Amino acid sequence: MNPRVTEFLDHFRKTVAECERFCYAARATEFQTQSILTLDALESEIAELKAKMVETKDEDAANCLLSLSLAARALSYELKMWVALKDDSAASAWDSLVEAQTCASRAIRAHAISDHLERYVERLEVLERVLFPPITFMSLSMVIRESRCSICDSRYGECDHVKGEVYMGEMVGRVITKADPLGTSIVPDPANKHARLVAISDGDAMRDLLTWRLIPPSQDEGSTTGL
Amino acid sequence: MNIQQEDFVNVVQRARVLGCRVPTGLALLPRNFDSATSKDQLLHESEAPTVRILWRRARLEETPIEPEGERFPQISEKSFEEWVGPTIFASAALLSQNPAVVSVALGVISNYLTDWFKGTAMDRRKVRLDVVVETGKSQYSKLHYEGPVEGLQDLAAIAREVGASEPKGD
Repeated sequence: MNPRVTEFLDHFRKTVAECERFCYAARATEFQTQSILTLDALESEIAELKAKMVETKDEDAANCLLSLSLAARALSYELKMWVALKDDSAASAWDSLVEAQTCASRAIRAHAISDHLERYVERLEVLERVLFPPITFMSLSMVIRESRCSICDSRYGECDHVKGEVYMGEMVGRVITKADPLGTSIVPDPANKHARLVAISDGDAMRDLLTWRLIPPSQDEGSTTGL
Repeated sequence: MNIQQEDFVNVVQRARVLGCRVPTGLALLPRNFDSATSKDQLLHESEAPTVRILWRRARLEETPIEPEGERFPQISEKSFEEWVGPTIFASAALLSQNPAVVSVALGVISNYLTDWFKGTAMDRRKVRLDVVVETGKSQYSKLHYEGPVEGLQDLAAIAREVGASEPKGD
């Protein structure tokens, strides 16, 4: 491990441990909000150090720092979820939970430094089941005509970058640039948990599926799904 | 883990009828290879390009069925977190020359998926893909696999056995 990263790890772990203390509903919102800011600052520090590692072409260090950055962001999103729940913003809380799950999973994939987060991912799964009602998810099917590599912009499949793998502190993505939608369907276990049914009609009004509140007519125009 | 075996269309004939190149070794077959009525309808699974990169990096030679300079679109159905792979084809000639080829081809995919599924709940780490092997004398068998990543090597072993078996009806 690069000595600068090893030195930074101590600071990272202390900061994360301080913020983790507030990942409970009972903790005061002001501490949770402050922790989110602390984690934002930590991410900025990581980005700065990662840029230096990329400059010196230390790939393992750059990938490790990407992983730490994603781990910090996952925690920040979890805190945002608790703040949003206490603020009675269920939809925002759901989105934050999904982002926390995504970031934590990516942190594990990015570098072995975050292998221990498997248990954190399980915790987030439990929170999903305990804090939110059963959700109806939607899925988009499509025919992909063209997609590109997020690292080198080649047509995906023509370079050697594979989606989900990490190169010099960047995770490869497949950017779909031309596609024909085929349709949407209701699915129990989607790849994208942001795509959910947000409201159903109930008599003359629409009902929010998270809060179960009736949505005032002025707010429900054109919003039958969260796609 | 679930592996089902069934007869498959004559790959050489279908490739010719559809105006595709005839695969002589390892290849990826479109999802609807057995039912499409024209080449324009052919659709690969969305992970086909990923498998091609993995094989290329592992120096596994593919004999693509796409005519030179053409690409088939891919279908993406993000219904489940399971990984849906493309249909893998191995010709009889290749299997007799290199009986371990399916094992190597699936091993490369298996290694990638072990990392891909990190951070995913255990019950969602599922793989679905088909392997088509030529059993000789223009007969073909399709093995449909659904299960964990670890089971891919069992699939490879069965594909090897099926590929080495005597053709039916002789």
